[in-house]
Amino acid sequence: MRQRMRDPMMGLLFVLPMLVLFLIFRFVPILGAGGMSLTDLNLGGEWNFIGVDNYARLFDDPKFWDSLRITLVYVAIYVPLTVLIALGTALLLNAVVFMRGLFRGMLFLPYVTSFVLAGVIWRWIYEFDGMINGLLDKLDLGPVGFLEETALVLPALAVVSVWKGFGYSMLILLAGLKSIPTSYLEAATVDGAGPWQRFRRITLPLLRPALFFVVIIETIGAFQTFDTIYVMTGGGPARASYTLIYGLYDQGFRFSNLGYAATIGIVLFALVLVVSLAQRRLLDRGNA
Amino acid sequence: MTLTATRPATSAVKPPAKSRRRSFPWPLWMLLALVSVITVSPFFVMFVVALSPPGEPTLPARWPGSLSLDTIVNLLSSSGFVGWTVNTVIYALVSVVIILLTASMAGYAFAKKRFPGRDTMMWAFLATLMVPFQATLIPMFVLISELGGVDTFWGLIVPTLANSQAVFLMRQFIRDLPDELFEAAKVDGASEWRIYWQIVIPLTKPILATLGVFVFLWHWNDFLWPLVMAQSDEMRTLTVGLASMRTEGSPLAVLMASAALSVLPCLLVFALLQRYLVNSIAMTGLK
Repeated sequence: MRQRMRDPMMGLLFVLPMLVLFLIFRFVPILGAGGMSLTDLNLGGEWNFIGVDNYARLFDDPKFWDSLRITLVYVAIYVPLTVLIALGTALLLNAVVFMRGLFRGMLFLPYVTSFVLAGVIWRWIYEFDGMINGLLDKLDLGPVGFLEETALVLPALAVVSVWKGFGYSMLILLAGLKSIPTSYLEAATVDGAGPWQRFRRITLPLLRPALFFVVIIETIGAFQTFDTIYVMTGGGPARASYTLIYGLYDQGFRFSNLGYAATIGIVLFALVLVVSLAQRRLLDRGNA
Repeated sequence: MTLTATRPATSAVKPPAKSRRRSFPWPLWMLLALVSVITVSPFFVMFVVALSPPGEPTLPARWPGSLSLDTIVNLLSSSGFVGWTVNTVIYALVSVVIILLTASMAGYAFAKKRFPGRDTMMWAFLATLMVPFQATLIPMFVLISELGGVDTFWGLIVPTLANSQAVFLMRQFIRDLPDELFEAAKVDGASEWRIYWQIVIPLTKPILATLGVFVFLWHWNDFLWPLVMAQSDEMRTLTVGLASMRTEGSPLAVLMASAALSVLPCLLVFALLQRYLVNSIAMTGLK
């Protein structure tokens, strides 16, 4: 202990490079986001302090409420879908031994690719002369405009993100399943519990921490979805996939309303914070 | 409670339970195989279209009669695509090297050193995890353009280096190394730099490798930041280039060939390190 106390400055020296990076490229932009949302900064570099005008303008804008609703609908479709598929595949992987490694690899494979790649491939899969409609055509079923129908575009986008990312949650849940002692399940079997009862009474409660983690990170990820929307729909059709984050990009880099875009960023941050705190509370209570 | 009470009885009835588990769960196996094949099929059709002879109508109308490398060869001789690849390699590799270095230094100090403000600093680093990158996209862009970094490599790379996950992963790992190691080295008169290079770095190789692979994949696949940083075609990374090809309506075969080529390094990393990646996610929840 005395040895470590001798040179307190050495520790600081070792943190210094990362500290400088954090100060300039994390803390300054975080503070800057708050400050910038109170200005009318544009790409020309001119700005005036305008107080909370950006927030007032945002909350008055029906397009903002639309994009908020679209974002929440997307989250509500994506999160249950991805968690259920991750849980289902994790349970299957846990139950099957033969060729497990190969299957796990195949299911995890899309995770190492980019959302842009996923968007490019799936855009074509969804198109009128794409894979799915090609198959539907052979079955004499009419073409479906997955990315052209306002009602279908959010589920279609959610499927792409699920495909790309569920492998990560699957691995977390699989690790959770493996940590459940088999003796519990065997004992329950002896006591006459069926597969559903074993799942409901033993597996699910013991898996709760892993499930909680997965739900939180998938929700936060869903709020930030951008790449697939940019590549696949550009916010359309008829703004049906125009999420908050897409609006942020549009305002900032297409219309060069930097102050206004920063305001959307603050709203996004607040939303992510509130949702993760709420989820924490809800799930903690459910645990008791 | 009931469970523990009945446990002694289990050993008597264990054999049937075990043999039931051993019996091959055919329906589950088939279902798993089906889901796995569906998951991989988009890659499969991407490669089929990429390898179709140019000009020949192909999927979904019909399977190509023969495969050809023509589209891919053409792509590799076009400067645009090669330039994007070079940019992506620079972006990913430079970031990996600097993050591994700075994060292991910071991780070592946070784990084994005492200095004023250490805990506050650590808390502040961790707190930044709660702020989504997109929330700070605009001020970050303004900051970099004020510093003249738009459309430059440093503007692209440097802001992505402040990585909390990397620092914390290193800290957790180094904290578990025995203190005696560092004390002994100090008693022997080794300088801090020597301890870092000859004890910390060699002993953290496994975690450095894992982190390196993840940082590589994050940067290789990154999109939004390169999109706002690359104002000229010359600065585009593969993801930005691919997205621009899609929106500019490149022919399907060319698009799929670019997609296929751009994903090859990721598939290679995956093929070589699958078990390793899978285990590290299961253990650390690294994202």
